[in-house]
Amino acid sequence: MTDFKYSNVEKEMATYGFDRVVKSHCRMCHGGCGVLVYMRNGKIAKIAGDPDCPINHGTLCSKGLASTQLVYHPDRLTHPVRSVGSRGNGQWEQISWDEALDCIAERILAYKADFGAESIVMGYGTGRENEGVIYRFANLLGSPNVLTAGHFCYGPRIATSIITCGTNPIVDYENHPQCIMVWGNNLVISNPDCYKAEPFSVSLAKGAKLIAVDPRLTRIAARADVWLQPRPGTDAALALGMLNVIVNEELYDKQFVKDHVHGWEPFVQRVNEYPLKKVEKITWVAREKIREAARLFATTKPAAVQWGVAIEQQINCADNDRLLMALMGLTGNIDVPGGQVLFSTPKIRNVGYFCAHRMLPDVQREKRLGGDRFRLAGNFAIINPKCVWDAILEEKPYAVKMLFFISSNPLVTRANAKEVYRALEKVDFIAVSDFFMTPTAELADIVLPAASWLEMDYIADYWKRHGYIFPRRKVVQVGKCRSDHEMLNDLAHRVGQGDHWWDNFEQALDWILEPMGITWQDFKQMDYLRGEVINQKYKFKGFSTPSRKFELYASLLEQWGYDPLPQYREPPESPYSTPERFKNYPYILITGRRSPGFFHTENRQIPWLRELHRDPIVEIHPRTAKKENITEGDWVVIESVRGKVRQRAKLFEGMDPRVVSAEHAWWFPEKKGPAHGWDESNINILTDNAYETCDPAMGATSVRTLLCRICPEPEGGGS
Amino acid sequence: MIVEAIRIDHQACWGCKTCEVACKQENRAADGVKLIAVQEEGPEIIDGKLNFVFHVNLCRHCDEPPCVDACPDAAIRKRSDRIVVMDSEMCTGCQACIEACPYDAIDFDPDKSIAQKCNLCHHRIENRLIPACADNICPAHCIHFLCYDSAPS
Repeated sequence: MTDFKYSNVEKEMATYGFDRVVKSHCRMCHGGCGVLVYMRNGKIAKIAGDPDCPINHGTLCSKGLASTQLVYHPDRLTHPVRSVGSRGNGQWEQISWDEALDCIAERILAYKADFGAESIVMGYGTGRENEGVIYRFANLLGSPNVLTAGHFCYGPRIATSIITCGTNPIVDYENHPQCIMVWGNNLVISNPDCYKAEPFSVSLAKGAKLIAVDPRLTRIAARADVWLQPRPGTDAALALGMLNVIVNEELYDKQFVKDHVHGWEPFVQRVNEYPLKKVEKITWVAREKIREAARLFATTKPAAVQWGVAIEQQINCADNDRLLMALMGLTGNIDVPGGQVLFSTPKIRNVGYFCAHRMLPDVQREKRLGGDRFRLAGNFAIINPKCVWDAILEEKPYAVKMLFFISSNPLVTRANAKEVYRALEKVDFIAVSDFFMTPTAELADIVLPAASWLEMDYIADYWKRHGYIFPRRKVVQVGKCRSDHEMLNDLAHRVGQGDHWWDNFEQALDWILEPMGITWQDFKQMDYLRGEVINQKYKFKGFSTPSRKFELYASLLEQWGYDPLPQYREPPESPYSTPERFKNYPYILITGRRSPGFFHTENRQIPWLRELHRDPIVEIHPRTAKKENITEGDWVVIESVRGKVRQRAKLFEGMDPRVVSAEHAWWFPEKKGPAHGWDESNINILTDNAYETCDPAMGATSVRTLLCRICPEPEGGGS
Repeated sequence: MIVEAIRIDHQACWGCKTCEVACKQENRAADGVKLIAVQEEGPEIIDGKLNFVFHVNLCRHCDEPPCVDACPDAAIRKRSDRIVVMDSEMCTGCQACIEACPYDAIDFDPDKSIAQKCNLCHHRIENRLIPACADNICPAHCIHFLCYDSAPS
């Protein structure tokens, strides 16, 4: 990458009069990138990529660059506040940290005494690398209930990969795959884990073949050698069809299958239930195309599957992930250079250990909400959100009394938003920690001002699977903001967990690093650490699964009462599963298309990012738009059986005319008052969260594929 | 003569708009005013295949810039290093340059009533720094700063 090592630090410093530059690690999305933070007079003056970081090689994205505007935003919450009068009325008073944490501690202890620790639900969204402290706090408190996005985002990849091959297989871009199959992922503009757009771009420039699987024509799909455009929600059938080709044309790695695969014969039987003729009918993808993609992927070495969240927000969540792993495994691309590597972290106390899952008493673990229904999720400490809303609204199987959301905006991000609102309205007590007064924070009793990534010391990418860790270095203090780590360390002492925490959080970082023989102060002097990279570890120690093999046939799922083989289920709402409904809601609605600058509900108040994308946009095929009398830029009403919202039309030919694509996570920080327009364009007004529509093992809500109708918004219909 | 220019590989562009924000961070153009803009072109059928590309649009620093001739206030000039520089202090907001530009690369700040365009970060170049959009910020590595001697060797 020496070709690209620009950024002349010394000249930058001299030209602009910066007084220092600090290396750190961004956290504006689910992954991290190395950054250089230029400082002048104690303030952040400029952010640039770190040319020496192995993840981004000096490049960055719009979010990272705009972090300065997050840190110094005038609407930033800079001190704890308490709701005055009836909750949700927008009236707040400033309180001290001691008052805030004492009040929260008092509530926690009271609910624990009266209703059990399980009545207190902790929560985070995609997590700002605060996952470890939140789980630790909950586990030590005795609450098995941590409500995260984990049921339908990244958690499924972790859970299914652990039961299939021991850990999450990461595309090894550093050794340049020769074929990359990007499946329902737009990593070049979205918020991927581990590696991001830069190394992917470099692998393509070096000549990697590209296969794209996407119902929309992304730029990746446009550049692809083969683009498969499936009917939304049919990924599992498509993968089974590709596996059918690979098995029956004997394109698989026979030695790997012979020595390292568990359940080969039943797996072959299962894929034979999906001949291409049937798969074509289900997926709307021509069988020749499926065969072409399968052959290209299976015969180009090394090859890798770049996967992401879209396939996890479906009823087939766990099986989608397992089928993509089957594609990686059968083609011999697991744990080989340039394929999909099972990286090891450095020898530190790992994040799972930090989470203190083993400190949660069995009797409390058994009370995990939905644990008996969604057993794959339950075994990985993940819960389905509806279980929490039901526990609040119906007090079944017991009452939840307190919610503590740390970097989470579930009113906008979770399915069936109206139900979420009712639950938040009813629950006894809500505490929130966040940067801004979000629609969720507005419903709280106490809101704590959270520090951003530029305001904390931490071990960045602690929970990532590329094997690297990086020092995230605090550069500024804003108001009275505190990192969630310091806040929970303090709160832990106030609820009697002090023995398991530290005098200050730097000591926690020392404790994590201790097995390496270094302290945080030592690590701060380094650029990064990486675990040793050893390929094909399975050859001498097997896979970390019950059979020590790559489990196409998942023995743990069988033990938990599920089909051990992956299968395809029709989306719960579709032209075929609900044909009567389809008559009135004649379009397949897909949701959650990413746009540069946003990270779920975040960043809509940051000028440089909102400028990139002012309004929520619904993409409609020009033929469909004409039929529905919709023109470019119109506000459109999108309606499902559950509700309706408005987004602006963009006519886009890159989709099947039967498909409509809406954005997720919209609220409007510029609209003052407690609601901030949370229900105007929030696509989760339309989504369903009924248990039977969720993945049966993982509890993933099926927010990506539903049925809708569309029409131009009537005059005066907006706000 | 030293020639400076931006070369963009549009086929490599993902449309992530990092360059737009890098430009904002450097030049602080007002909200809604873009000195560099990533635009979507298509989709359309090309060689029997549905395709679309992103196009990164900014001042081309033309050899014979029509905006220079169009400006009644001499606020735009072509320098010897071939950079076309607009001096916003001298701009009276008549927008003749915007009319004249064949590339739609000049924007207008309605609050200040001035035209704005890419000056190729000449303040950086003069300090031997690379323009903000091309300083290895693009994750696709699609924006390159060329600085070469045009004299025949």
